[in-house]
Amino acid sequence: MKRYLLVPLMLLLFVPPAFAKVNVVTTLPWIGSMAKEIGKDYIDVTTLIKSNQDPHFAEAKPSMILAARKADIFMYNGLDLEIGYLPRIIESSNNPKIQPGKRGNLDCSQFIEAIEKPSSVDRSMGDVHPLGNPHYHLSSKNILKVAEGISAALSGIDPGNTAYYNSNLQSFKDHLNEKLKQWTKKSLKGMKYVTNHKYFEYLARELGFQIIGYIEPKPGIPPSAGHIEELIEMMKKTKPEAILNTAYSGKKEADLLSMKTGVKVKVLPHDVGASDSARDWLTLMDTIIRTLE
Amino acid sequence: MKIKTIAIMLVLVCAITSQAYGSDIESRLSALEEIIKQQGKTINDQQMVILELKEELQRSRKEEIARSEEKVVEVDRSQKATGLFGTSNLMNPNISLILDTFGYSSNLKESELRTRRIPGYTTEGITNRKGINLDSAELFFFAPVDPYFNLYATIPITEDGVELEEAYFVTTSLPYGLQLKGGKFKSGFGRINSQHPHAWDFADAPLSYRALMGGEGITDKGVQLTYLPTLPFYTLFGVELLQGDNLILFGPDARSGPHAFTAFAKASFDVSDNATILFGPSVISGSTKTDTIADNTDFRGRSTLYGFEATYKWKPSKAQSVTLQSEYLYRSQTGTLEDSASSSVDGLKRKQDGLYIQGVYQWERYRAGLRYDVLDLFKKDYMLSGNQSDFGSRPWRVSGMLEFKPTEFSRIRLQYNHDKSARNSRANNEVILQLTFGIGAHGAHPF
Repeated sequence: MKRYLLVPLMLLLFVPPAFAKVNVVTTLPWIGSMAKEIGKDYIDVTTLIKSNQDPHFAEAKPSMILAARKADIFMYNGLDLEIGYLPRIIESSNNPKIQPGKRGNLDCSQFIEAIEKPSSVDRSMGDVHPLGNPHYHLSSKNILKVAEGISAALSGIDPGNTAYYNSNLQSFKDHLNEKLKQWTKKSLKGMKYVTNHKYFEYLARELGFQIIGYIEPKPGIPPSAGHIEELIEMMKKTKPEAILNTAYSGKKEADLLSMKTGVKVKVLPHDVGASDSARDWLTLMDTIIRTLE
Repeated sequence: MKIKTIAIMLVLVCAITSQAYGSDIESRLSALEEIIKQQGKTINDQQMVILELKEELQRSRKEEIARSEEKVVEVDRSQKATGLFGTSNLMNPNISLILDTFGYSSNLKESELRTRRIPGYTTEGITNRKGINLDSAELFFFAPVDPYFNLYATIPITEDGVELEEAYFVTTSLPYGLQLKGGKFKSGFGRINSQHPHAWDFADAPLSYRALMGGEGITDKGVQLTYLPTLPFYTLFGVELLQGDNLILFGPDARSGPHAFTAFAKASFDVSDNATILFGPSVISGSTKTDTIADNTDFRGRSTLYGFEATYKWKPSKAQSVTLQSEYLYRSQTGTLEDSASSSVDGLKRKQDGLYIQGVYQWERYRAGLRYDVLDLFKKDYMLSGNQSDFGSRPWRVSGMLEFKPTEFSRIRLQYNHDKSARNSRANNEVILQLTFGIGAHGAHPF
């Protein structure tokens, strides 16, 4: 008797779902969060890099390759930020849908205008990105463009739900505009900060604060004692507001600098999920701007 | 009288003016009323306008969404997308050059090193020279060919000349999780075999590699097909058809046409966010004709090499990681051994195995590692005409290394080997100081 019950139960397991969600795979958490903002219930999002990882130095783990194999669309930061693992993930995925030039390959940097593009670059300058500063996501101007790009890309893959994606895009824009009113009220104009890595340059331009020094002497190169000495001298003269640091690196150096100069350290989430309050892009920006004040 | 008239007139004037005043208030009040009425009307009118505007706004918003239903938001994405490997490489492929140079020191004489073999396994000696060695300056080229193929080439330039170590295409557009690779490439057999020597954790290949397939590993001409199914965990299946040029296992003259076949499977799980294991079996089999088993001999027959690899990597941050890795190799060979001096032919059956196990700890820009190699672990059959040959004690080696990586593109490594692979012969105590530099395009790191 029980066996007869099992058969329909097993059949149920093999019934395909009524409608298939778009399978989105992203490298960085903020891209996953933006995809969710636009795709909401109509997409599944897998994010490969965790918010506590340095996005410059991830490895192409087999689990990431498998996720890319199952992707309908693969979204990434671009500007060579993921150059150390992205090419291998995409090629090894054996997935034709996400290869460059295909609809399922979305380089989010194509929608923005990169800053700090060096006119000439070699590696004696450290890990400089020849295409410009790749940390462009902490900018409402850029995120708006990326949101539009993601919406267009999802519509391209899943044209039947274009209206859904567009209305989600519209409500994100509305939320962002409300938030912008709050953010631009805060006067960060002219404030001076010292940071570890070139993470906050886009935000500085947008909100008008200044980054006057870096703990890293060159991108990706840990500081020497001499560099720290120089930085301490400079900070004693210019008295910056705070030392900005991300959660994943350079705590030791930042604390030392703070001890020597009396300037306090502010730890900012660099990406969605890097602090409890940064649940999505809007709350990430909220957290950063609140901490900066 | 005069005063009286003046008073009366004053009263009259007052009365008149007051009366006029009274009527003035009334008219002003009514004027005010009129104004208030007007204003009320204006407010009403304005409210109507606001309501109308509201309606219109909602309507236009709905229309906008409806319109966008037909039309996808136009975003220009034609010019700025970067390619698979980064910046534009339309006119030039990505090129990188890796310089591998090392200093070598040993307690053995130069002549002893040349004849330092692994008795029962291989007659090939050690080619390192005491002093300063230039391994190679290795050129890498890679770029997409078109939407269907990527092309890779590895061209090491040594003091002896230029080699074509690897040159192969990889397909990018096959369906069902399939990928085809063709040309000359490193076989997917095992773990270290498919890595480039500059990506190894130690300056030299494991003893088991040197003994069972040669220190260079299996790099051969052929085709490879891999299949990556969409299971809940990572699995990769691969088969290869190879020409069979490997001098230790097969030999180019063993047979005309491709005469080596490979099959491998790899599986991987993320044990946690920071820890991953990768493991899987491999097998390679084919016809053999080699002169590396003993001096002045020729072996003809069949060889099959089985392997099992396992890697565990724990990496909680970029500042710290632990990698544990091991491979077990088992080789079975059956055929005839011909003595070129006496022309005597004997049947030879070899069943031999080997293992390495290594661990590397990384903190900040430093890495330290330990490796243990052993041969004859479970099997040491060397049956010449049915008789077991005894070559002496079990070959083994232990190695330690310490390295400093200033950036991703440079590495200084110091390694020490205590090598007892020549069985009962003296130990070879080696010190290697290896310097590796890379310039040019940024290659991706494999797991």
